Amino acid sequence: MRIATITFQQDALSQMQQLQADLSRTQNDLATGKKLHSAADDPSGMAQVNQLNVQLSASQQYVTNGNYATSTLQLEDQAMSDATNTLQSVRDLAVEANNSSLTAAQRADIASQITQQLQNLVAIGNRVDGSGNQLFAGNASGTVPFSQSGNTVTYSGSNSVSQIQIGSSQRMSAGDTGATVFMNIPAGNGTFTTAGAATNTGTGSIGVGTVATPSAWIPDTYTIAFTSPTAYSVTNSAGTVVTTGNAFADGDSIAFNGVQIPVTGTPAAGDTFTVAKAGNASAFSTLSGLVTTLSNTTLTQAQISSQIGGALQQIDNAISNMSNVSATVGARLNSITSSQGAAQTLQLNLTTSVSQISDVDYAAAITQLNTEEISLQAAQQTYASISHLSLFNYLK
Amino acid sequence: MSDILSTSVSGLLAFQRALDVTSNNISNVATPGYSVENANFTPQPGQATAVGYFGSGVSIESVTRSYDELLAGQVRSSQSGYSSFNTYATQAAQIDNMLSDSSTGLTASLQAFSNALQTVANSPSSTAQRQALLSQAQALAQQMQNYNAQLTTYSAGVESQVSASVTQINTLSAGIANLNGQIAAGLASTGQTPNTLMDQRDQMVDQLSQYVSVNTAAQADGSMNVYVGSGQPLVIGSTAQALTAFQDPYNATQHDIGIVSGGSTADITSNISGGSLGGLLAVRSQVLQPVQNTLGQFSVGLASIVNQAQAAGMDLTGSAGKPMFAVGAVLTGPASTNTGTATIAVTRTNLSSLTADDYTLRQTGGAWQLTDKTTGQVVPMTGAGTAASPFLAAGISIVVGGGAAVNGDSFLIQPTAGASAGLSVLLTSPSQIAAASSIQTTAGATNTGTGAVSSSAVTNPGTWVAGAYKISFTSANAYQVTDSTNAVVGTGTYTSGTPITFNGASVILTGAPATGDTFTVGAASSSNVGDNSNAFALVDALSALKLNGATTSLSNVANNLVSQIGVQTQQAQANASAQKSVNASAVDTRNNLSGVNLDEEAAKMVQYQQAYSACAQLIQTSNTMFNSLISAIHG
Repeated sequence: MRIATITFQQDALSQMQQLQADLSRTQNDLATGKKLHSAADDPSGMAQVNQLNVQLSASQQYVTNGNYATSTLQLEDQAMSDATNTLQSVRDLAVEANNSSLTAAQRADIASQITQQLQNLVAIGNRVDGSGNQLFAGNASGTVPFSQSGNTVTYSGSNSVSQIQIGSSQRMSAGDTGATVFMNIPAGNGTFTTAGAATNTGTGSIGVGTVATPSAWIPDTYTIAFTSPTAYSVTNSAGTVVTTGNAFADGDSIAFNGVQIPVTGTPAAGDTFTVAKAGNASAFSTLSGLVTTLSNTTLTQAQISSQIGGALQQIDNAISNMSNVSATVGARLNSITSSQGAAQTLQLNLTTSVSQISDVDYAAAITQLNTEEISLQAAQQTYASISHLSLFNYLK
Repeated sequence: MSDILSTSVSGLLAFQRALDVTSNNISNVATPGYSVENANFTPQPGQATAVGYFGSGVSIESVTRSYDELLAGQVRSSQSGYSSFNTYATQAAQIDNMLSDSSTGLTASLQAFSNALQTVANSPSSTAQRQALLSQAQALAQQMQNYNAQLTTYSAGVESQVSASVTQINTLSAGIANLNGQIAAGLASTGQTPNTLMDQRDQMVDQLSQYVSVNTAAQADGSMNVYVGSGQPLVIGSTAQALTAFQDPYNATQHDIGIVSGGSTADITSNISGGSLGGLLAVRSQVLQPVQNTLGQFSVGLASIVNQAQAAGMDLTGSAGKPMFAVGAVLTGPASTNTGTATIAVTRTNLSSLTADDYTLRQTGGAWQLTDKTTGQVVPMTGAGTAASPFLAAGISIVVGGGAAVNGDSFLIQPTAGASAGLSVLLTSPSQIAAASSIQTTAGATNTGTGAVSSSAVTNPGTWVAGAYKISFTSANAYQVTDSTNAVVGTGTYTSGTPITFNGASVILTGAPATGDTFTVGAASSSNVGDNSNAFALVDALSALKLNGATTSLSNVANNLVSQIGVQTQQAQANASAQKSVNASAVDTRNNLSGVNLDEEAAKMVQYQQAYSACAQLIQTSNTMFNSLISAIHG
């Protein structure tokens, strides 16, 4: 076959150029550590890398979000723990006050201590986080949630709390509103509340009561009226008599519609007690009610005892409410920890995947570099040895 | 004896000529386009005698070049193919590199924006975080504008290369026509082919095929006709027809290719293929324009989604959210050939139906017809084209105004091409970011259950009707939603933590509400500065499938574009590489026939040299013979 001299030259040249280009590319891969420089190198790989990087970035953001939520929740937990301690000391004071041997001055002294604790509790409710945001104002994070006027505390925060995203489909409240923690505490035993009328003259004191048969309970406001120290009738809000009794003795429980309510002491004829469907009572109003009770010098011992009993129940309810909220805070913190742990594993996997697609395989690349180097050397050597072959060399 | 002399002299002359040819071949061993020439010997007619015919020597009948039209054609077509794909690949690689960076690419920027939004959500009242989000929004807008500016630069580069290619083609076709004339004249006057001129012409046609794919037809008079596209004549004999790059009737910055014939110009843009010109036209319609349109679609999507979510929320000052992004308007252009006075006004109406295609609106038989330029399909429109009832199709609304249209009048509509250029951030203060929900839900004061409000936000501003709503529990797990007129707007089964949705709003309650419990939904308090519900509604909207018929998210649009351009670039590079091999092989095959081989020339040189010496020796012999005869006579 006839080969033009120029073909031989051009082919050798273009082959060497091609080998040099390959060598330069492999060298570039090795120098940068990347085999994926632009989408044209591996379009589907580039799309995957972009997608994986988005996931990676999102996951890192979720970890940051989780850290923020953790710090806020820990502050909240600390505040609730402090509030629980405050309520506990108020409870101790209330038990101390519920003693018939105390004088009015001693009660007033306890009342002023409880007033002090009430201010403490308001201060805890108005705590802020590191950035000056209110912990318990919900969405109204710039508004001081609790304001005290005399012994009355009102809540002006929001009833909603903002959410924090800690996973691609996992959001949680990074806190709780003051309403949840301090205000919306179930009153009484959670089903109904009891109270004695202020005009009662007997020593009868009504207890908190229990629900024996929940299905039989009909929420309503009931009046227990004593017509004599031993006879009573219970009427509902429509005036219908629900039950009557005529052999009441000190410490007996009055039972109707599935509930049992103990009454101690001896009620006088005309004394009334009300049993109402439970609403909510705030921790502050419980404390201020206690202060009012202890400061009032006109109350009978029975009334004081009954009111302190109710207040103790309310304090227990408040403590129990806080420990419930605290338990959910703990669960949320656990959830953040576990989702951050999962995020770390995910990030490692994502980084590995990105690396597998876009990073150079050194062993393979170095082998390829060697092969290309040898090819180029061979091309150069053979060109050098063949290029001077010419018939003219022998025509002397 | 005189026979010996004259025969030898004919040999001397012939071999001298042959050596001339050989020396010319050797001299041109490196000349591009040179075809090796052969001296064709022919014996001179014999002298008739009684004892037979005696030859009277040799002469050079002709000098011909080794050339094969088929091989030359293969070189040209592979050259056109390579040149086209290589131009395409080079241009596309620029776009590919622009879009590909995985750390600064569009998907990464969008995610950074989304992350900044979540950081605002973590601490909605923090001005620093809000400022960071605004900066991120500005960076995103700037990035889209940079892309747009780069694309404009690339487009301008392509257009100037198109014009330059047309100029080159015209220069070459004029040169070919001129050579055709000279070759025909030379052949007619001597009967011999002017080899050098023909080599020059072949090389010019080779060069022409680098710019555009051509077909050739050799003529009997030695000239060569050259055709372009689908048979449009570029060179006929000694006449060249000029190509022209003229302004597109819709878009003055874009050039179409025409052929000038008899004073009129015919548009042959769609017929041009191959060569760098074909590659440029292909990269313009397959890469530059789609990328610009798709980036525009992304910009429109971003602005539309973010602005809609902003409108549903409340900013730090308690005002309703204002639009965050401004975006470039729909580009429309009347054809420069329109004779009527109708005008059109086009706006975008529906993000989901919006495409990245361009459209033409044409007056045909008294009616307007919308055609998708990418698919060539007619797109059905609803409406009458009036302000009260605009034409609606493909996510745009068209109002035809001005005077009367004439049949054949047309307009180009580019719904997304101009969007990125106008993408900018409208918000000036960090407090204007509407992170808070514009609504809030409050539990009834007399509720007895443990139901608590988790969040409330307007999730679909399009269907949201502002007002006061009440969610009432008819049983522990059934609720109904009523509006201010007590009309029921929604009912459902309650599950703690599952959104209750009605009229475009979404309220999440947790806990166990009791029968008879109520929750009221109303306008949010301006003190809700710590609310981030709307920021989350925006985070969700950013990743929601809202484009291309609600099948793709913003991130998908960006990522699909990157991989699509990657595939196109990769294919063009692979095609260019394949065509390069084909071309190299075609060039080799042609050169193996037409190129000079030095060893062959050396052998011929030796052969002719020896023959020349032999002829000279014959003259010497003739001389000796003559001397012998003379000395014999002189005795």
